[in-house]
Amino acid sequence: MTLLPFRAETLPILVLACMLGLGLDVRAQGSPAVPGAPLEAQAPGLAASAPLSVPLSLSARKVYEQARSQLVQIRTVLKGRASQTSVGSGFVVSREGHIVTNFHVVAEAALKPERHDLVYVTADGREAPLVILQLDVLHDLALLKAADGIAPGGNTNTAPRSFDALAFRPEARGLAQGERIYSLGNPLDVGFAVTEGTYNGLVKRSFYPQIFFGGALSGGMSGGPALDEAGQVIGINVARRVDGEQVSFLVPASFATALLARGRDAAPIKTAAYGIVTDQLMLHQAALTERFIQQGWKTATHPRYKVPVPTDSFMRCWGSSEPSRNGGLDLERSDCVMDTRIFVGDYTTGAIAVRHESYDGAKLGTLRFAARYSASFRNERFTRLRDEHQTKPQCHEDFVDRNGLALRAVVCLRAYKKLPGLYDLSVLVATLDQPRAGVQGRFDVQGLSFANAQKLARHYLEAYAWAR
Amino acid sequence: MGSLDPINLPGAGLPEPALPVLAVLDVLDRDGLPRQTFLVRAWPLRIGRSLDNDVVLADPHVAAQHLDIEPAGAGLTLRVGASRNGVQLGSKQLRGGESVVLPRAGEAPEFVAGRTCLRLRLPEHTLAAELALAETTPLARRLVPVLLAATLVLAGLLLRTWLDTDPDGFARAAGTVVLGAVVATATWCGAWALLSKTFAHQARFGWHLRVFLFASIATLAVSTLPGLLAFALSWPWLSDFAFVGTIGVAATALYFHLLAVEPARRHLLKWAAAACAAVGIALTLWFNVQRTDQFGDELYMNHLFPPGWRLARPVATDAFVDGLAALKSTLDKKAKDPGRGDDDTGAGDAEE
Repeated sequence: MTLLPFRAETLPILVLACMLGLGLDVRAQGSPAVPGAPLEAQAPGLAASAPLSVPLSLSARKVYEQARSQLVQIRTVLKGRASQTSVGSGFVVSREGHIVTNFHVVAEAALKPERHDLVYVTADGREAPLVILQLDVLHDLALLKAADGIAPGGNTNTAPRSFDALAFRPEARGLAQGERIYSLGNPLDVGFAVTEGTYNGLVKRSFYPQIFFGGALSGGMSGGPALDEAGQVIGINVARRVDGEQVSFLVPASFATALLARGRDAAPIKTAAYGIVTDQLMLHQAALTERFIQQGWKTATHPRYKVPVPTDSFMRCWGSSEPSRNGGLDLERSDCVMDTRIFVGDYTTGAIAVRHESYDGAKLGTLRFAARYSASFRNERFTRLRDEHQTKPQCHEDFVDRNGLALRAVVCLRAYKKLPGLYDLSVLVATLDQPRAGVQGRFDVQGLSFANAQKLARHYLEAYAWAR
Repeated sequence: MGSLDPINLPGAGLPEPALPVLAVLDVLDRDGLPRQTFLVRAWPLRIGRSLDNDVVLADPHVAAQHLDIEPAGAGLTLRVGASRNGVQLGSKQLRGGESVVLPRAGEAPEFVAGRTCLRLRLPEHTLAAELALAETTPLARRLVPVLLAATLVLAGLLLRTWLDTDPDGFARAAGTVVLGAVVATATWCGAWALLSKTFAHQARFGWHLRVFLFASIATLAVSTLPGLLAFALSWPWLSDFAFVGTIGVAATALYFHLLAVEPARRHLLKWAAAACAAVGIALTLWFNVQRTDQFGDELYMNHLFPPGWRLARPVATDAFVDGLAALKSTLDKKAKDPGRGDDDTGAGDAEE
């Protein structure tokens, strides 16, 4: 099956608003590499210009002045060297010095603590070390604490400080679409900034709730707060689309309050956090499997067969039709992918993709069609991540009977090396009942337990049948 | 001292006291043909580099008195003189002072003194039958198999091209394939003919062409049949290890090509071809393990044929999914390997 990337205007490329300078676009790693995709937008300089040209309202100035002292820049620094490997933003949420930011801002320090340190820098230039207390990988949040803050239980360190904290907007007080909101952070390490935009409700078809922020975010602003006009936190800057204008995303504040409640008094995480990441991904895959199976399949996806196409409650499907120009194979294609991916350091996981191609070779004849159909079946890759992250695929294959409909099925699994117990599942299917037509489907799920991988493989295979 | 006729020296053919010829000593070239022949009229026969020998060799690797041969009982005794290099008789290496009995019956014995290959023929030794000159077979009869094979190869290539092109593009693709095939065949066989001419003094273009055509037919067969059978019977291992067949065909072809370059070393060539095949197979296995952690070529059986050609019965979904369980222990074991951290699969990120 030849899998083509999406058209450029529908590209789900999210650029995290951090990782500047190195041109690191962590979310884009898992996204389709589309020719002409505006990945250049990651380059420092290009992304920063737009918001600054908009004149700020009086409220923006007021909001920034209020929040300035609670705002910090978070730097990941190479141990023993002065150079920073990535920068992001964060904000103080307690008098003791608890700071909320994105997980992806501190991922290097959390996963490779032997090589990285975290420090924060305030708007007036004060710098001090940070420790990690708690992570929420699924919502891309991290709870940190200033090492010079007040120790829990009132015990004071050598130089205790009391911090100004930003308040969260109570969940009961919802926002209306179009309300003005302000996003703060340190874009591209240029300096602290406030950008103005609108609240546009929750993102459609996101697996986890995210706020659609109609404003500009830039690299380095990740982890910074988004405030309402009263200066209360409504969300945390997390990502933006590089194929659109002012299409940005915030993590709802409620997940940050929950994280703060959970981790306020936790002991600092000193070793590589793969165990925590694995535990949270286990929860994710359980929820993902359950919701995916629950949502079921669309009906009437092919005139002859039932071909699995998921209902798009948290996935987005695109179709295309390509009649041959050389009197050859005509094909129709359907691609469904999830926008939500879980960032885990060097790669993303936790997403589902379902796609199929329907071939009509009436003009080709039996043998020629078989050759073409075979070539399409061959043209599949099952290796995703580098050797240090994942095993090579192990496959199981056979002819499978679906109530008289014969399929050739291949299931390939890869195990994660640093996330024990998690696997990537790929299922490849070709129908084998017509000499000059057929459907080839592919189903990919990342980061599953073995039992759920089997369960979803079965769920997908059982979705194939005759249309009658 | 024995009496001897160096028949190709001046004076050969002059009237001589007609002693009967007891034996003939041939100095053989690397193509197996005699370069020089000495008639032996008396025993013992002494061979070496100094002038008091019966047969004087110019080879600098030969000692002054390298060896002598004289009848002893039912055989002939070959005794090695004061030589550093000794005498090589078949697989046996004789050092200075050692001796061996050569048979008087059967095939004429061949041995190597220094770098000179010698053959001693006695009347009792069997005489090989006369070799027919190639030209004696009628041209038409020799051409038929070649033409037949050429037609088969072309048909196979055209069928492949036909299968792989859209209806509108076939004519042009076919032209390219035919032209390419003719040029490739001529180049390949021409190069081998040049080698043959250099080392065996005969071009043998026809031989090389036949070898190439038959090898091509075999290659077409071993590259198609395993996939077909793997599909029909659902035996993925067949196409997974189809490269063994391809390498086998290539090694066999190499052997027959070389045979027309070094016709005297049939035995050595056989081993060389077998060694090539073994090395080729070992290297392929090694690369496959590097690439996919598995010995086979293919991650999964990816040859699909018309549905009617399937013989294997499909399994039930449950049985198929239950079969996945066997992968778990392998995956968990491999997951413990930290990995080489090389970038060979970096491009795989584009899967999504």
